[in-house]
Amino acid sequence: MSLFPEDRNSELRALFFESANELLQSLNEAGLDLEANPTDEEVIRRVRRAVHTLKGDSAACGFHKLSELAHELEDVLSPQIGLSVGSRLADIVLIAADNFGAMLSAYQRNAEPPSADSLRVMMRTLIHGSAASVPTAPAVSGIAAQFHWTEYEHLMISEAVHRGETVYNVALRVDPASLMHAAAFQLIRNVLHACGTLIALRPEDNSAAETLEIVEAALASNQSQEHIAQRCRIPSVVSDVRIERAATPDTAEHELLGELLEVQATTVASRPTSAAANADAAKATGSAAITIAESSLRVDAARIDAVMNLVGELIIGKSMLHRSLTEFDQRHARDPVRAKLSDALAFQSRVLDELHKCVLKIRMVPVEQLFRRFPRLVRDVAKQCGKDVALELSGQNTDLDKGILDALAEPLMHLVRNAVDHGVEDAEQRIAANKPARGTVYLNAYHQGTQVVIEVRDDGRGIDLVQIRQHAVEKGIVKAAEIQRLTDSEVMNLIFEPGFSTAAEITEVSGRGVGMDVVRTVIDNLKGTVHVSSVKGRGTTIQLRMPLTLASIQTLLFRVGGRLFAVPLSSVVEITRITDSEIHRVDQREVLRLREQILTLVRLDSLSQIHAVVVQDGKKKKRNFVIVIGAAEKRFGLVVDSLVGEEELVIKALPTEIISSDLVSGASILGDGTVVLILNVPAVLSRLSRATPLGAIA
Amino acid sequence: MQQFAALLRKDSRPVRYLVVDDSVFARKNLIKMIEMFGGEVAGEAGDGLTAIAEYNRTKPDIVLMDITMPQMEGIEAVERIVRQHAEARIVMVSSVGYQENILAALQKGAKHFVQKPVKPEVLYEILRYVLSDDPTAAGAPVALAGEHRS
Repeated sequence: MSLFPEDRNSELRALFFESANELLQSLNEAGLDLEANPTDEEVIRRVRRAVHTLKGDSAACGFHKLSELAHELEDVLSPQIGLSVGSRLADIVLIAADNFGAMLSAYQRNAEPPSADSLRVMMRTLIHGSAASVPTAPAVSGIAAQFHWTEYEHLMISEAVHRGETVYNVALRVDPASLMHAAAFQLIRNVLHACGTLIALRPEDNSAAETLEIVEAALASNQSQEHIAQRCRIPSVVSDVRIERAATPDTAEHELLGELLEVQATTVASRPTSAAANADAAKATGSAAITIAESSLRVDAARIDAVMNLVGELIIGKSMLHRSLTEFDQRHARDPVRAKLSDALAFQSRVLDELHKCVLKIRMVPVEQLFRRFPRLVRDVAKQCGKDVALELSGQNTDLDKGILDALAEPLMHLVRNAVDHGVEDAEQRIAANKPARGTVYLNAYHQGTQVVIEVRDDGRGIDLVQIRQHAVEKGIVKAAEIQRLTDSEVMNLIFEPGFSTAAEITEVSGRGVGMDVVRTVIDNLKGTVHVSSVKGRGTTIQLRMPLTLASIQTLLFRVGGRLFAVPLSSVVEITRITDSEIHRVDQREVLRLREQILTLVRLDSLSQIHAVVVQDGKKKKRNFVIVIGAAEKRFGLVVDSLVGEEELVIKALPTEIISSDLVSGASILGDGTVVLILNVPAVLSRLSRATPLGAIA
Repeated sequence: MQQFAALLRKDSRPVRYLVVDDSVFARKNLIKMIEMFGGEVAGEAGDGLTAIAEYNRTKPDIVLMDITMPQMEGIEAVERIVRQHAEARIVMVSSVGYQENILAALQKGAKHFVQKPVKPEVLYEILRYVLSDDPTAAGAPVALAGEHRS
C-alpha cells in the first residue's frame, strides 16, 4: 500500500491527507474561477498544477486509483479544450474535486475508493466531442450512473432521511432518438419535481443539453418507487430508467461537519518530507496554491490550552505579588529593597504581558479558513434553487480564536444557505423590484472592541414581519393577544425561538426549516450575540458577535451592595457621577439626562431581584457612579456604589449549576483571592428590554 | 392503417381533446389521429386567444397546442390556461427548430411535447403517459378497451 518505511507510515499518511485536502480546496477555488473565466489559460494552468501535485502525491502514497484519475483529468486540462468547451470544463473540474474528495475519505477509512466512471465518461465526451466512443460501464439496468453528490447535497439527503422521507437515486437515459435534448431535460426536470423534492440534479442545468445522455437526480419523495419509475418513463424522451433507494450516508450530518472541520483544521500544509513523495511534488513547486511552510508545526490544541491556563495562573500570581508589594510599601517605605522589588515586578509583568499575547496569537486563525468553503456552497445552493447568486467575502484576515471559529462553521453554513435559498428572490422578482437579476450574499468579518463581528447579508426580499407575527401565533410561540405588543425587533428575534420552523417558506429545492434556534444556541454558548436586521424588499443582515477569545478580558471592577463585579472594559463608554436628584422616572423606569440624551439606568440589585429592597432602602446614598455601557448600538447606565479599578481578568469557566443566572458570563479570582463576577452585558440588555414597557429603550 | 387500443378516461368515457393550430391541415391531421385513439374532439382553435376561450368553454382532458400562431403564441396561451386551470394537460406540438419555445412552454406548465411531423404511435404513447398522471390512480389508469375504436 505504501512506499513509506513502516515507522513513518502513519505520520506521512496524515501529512498526505492534510495536503491533499488543501489541494482539493484550491482545486475547488480554481474550478469556480474557471467557471467565471472558462478561457483563462492561467486558471487552467492553476487547476492543472493542483491536479498534477495530487497525482504525484497520491502515487507516492500508493493510492493508485486516485492518481490514475488525476492523470486522466490532467490530460483533459488544456487551454485548447477550455476554448472549445467553455464552462463545461469547470463543471468537470468541480465534479472531479468531489470525486477526489470521496476517494480520499475512502482511503482514509481504509475502504475501497468509489469508481469515477461517470466522470470518466464526461471527460471522454469532452475530448472526443461525441458520445459514440464511450464504453458504458455495466450497471444494473445498463445505465452507468454514479450518483455522486456534493457534500452539501449529501447533507440535504441525510436531512431528508432524518425527517422520515425516502430518498431515491434516479438515473434516466435520454432517448437518443429525441432531437430536442434541452426540452427533454426540462420535461424530465418537471416530472421529477412533480414526484417529490429534487435534492440534486446532474447535469445541473441544460447548458450542455445537446450532448446530454444521462440525467441523475436525488429525489426525496413520499411516492412509491414504482410510481416514480412509471412517471419517469416519459415516452419519446426517456429510454431507460434506473431507480434505487439512496443509501443513507454513513456519515450523519454532524460527522460530516466534523469532517469538514478536520479539513479546515489544516492551516498550512506541510509537505511530506519523504524523498519519494517529494520527487513529484517538487516538479510542481511554484504552485500558487500551496505555500511550502516547513517552519510550521502542528500541535494538539489541548497543549495550547494547557499553556493558556498556566499563563492565566501566572497573571493571578502577578496581581498577588503586586498586592504584597503594596503592603510591603506601606510597612517599610524606606527600605531600599522596595525599589528593586518593584523594578523586578515591572520587568516580570512586561514579559508576562508579551507571553500572554503570544499564547493568544497561537490560538488565533484568520476567518478566511472558515470563509473559503462558502463560494462552493453558495454556487451549489444557488444552482439548486435556480438562482443566480454571487458571494462577496471581505475581512478574511480577521483573526479569531480557533475554538470559536470551529464552533461557528455550522451556524454560518445554515445562515448562508438560508440567505441564498430564502433571502434572495428569483431573477424575475428581482427585476420586477428594480434590482439586478443577480443576487448577492455578503460575508464580512471585522473586529469591534474585543469582539469579532461576522455578518451574513443578502440583498434579497427581507423578512416579512407580518408573516412572522402570524406564524409565531400559529405555532403557539406567542399568544395572539401579546403579538401586537411586541416591537419589530422583538418580532424579528422570534425566528430564533425553538419550534419556529421556517416551514412556511420552504422552497421546492432545499433548505427546509433549519432551526435558527440552533444558531442562537451555538452563539450563546460562545458568549456571543445574534442580531437580525431586515428591510423588507432590501435584504437581511444577520450579525454574529463573539468575544475575540474565551480566555481573558480587560475589565472595570466595581462594587454594588458590597459585592465585587466586573464589566468588559471594551463595553464601557464613560463613567459619570450623579446625585439622586438627577434621576428621573419615566414609565416606571429610572432615566438620566446626560448631555441632552436620555439614558436608561439599571441597578444590578433590581435586575437580580434579590437585594433590591435591602440596598435601595438600606443605603440611601446621595451620590452614585454611573457606568455608561454600550453594546450593539444600545446604551444604558449602570448605577454602582463604588469603582475599584481596571484589571485584566482570566475567565474561569464555572459549571452551570453554580451560575444560575445568565447575567453573569463568568468569574475570576483576584490576587487576594477575592472572587469577581463578570457581567454579561448582552444578557443584561436583553433582560432590560424584556422587562421594559413598549419602546422605552431606544 | 395502424390500430390502437382506445385511450379512455377513468370513467370509461372517450378522452376529450382541444386541438389548437393555425393550419387547418395540421388540425385535420391531428383530429384523424385522435379519432384513431378513440378520442373525441371537444373543440378547435386557430390562435391562442380562441384556444383560451375554447378551453374555458369545453374543459377538455387534453390540449394539443401549436407553438407559432397569429394573435397569441402557444406559450402565452399555455401560461394563461395553466394559471387558471392548474390541472390542464397541454401537449406542445412543434417542429425541432422551436426547441427554445418548447422549453419555455414546459417551464410554464405544459406537460409534454411532440415533434412535427407527428407520428401516431409517438403521440399515442405520449397521450397515454400524460393521461396517467393522477398519482392517486392505481396502476395503469387508462382502460385499453379495444372495441372502442372508431
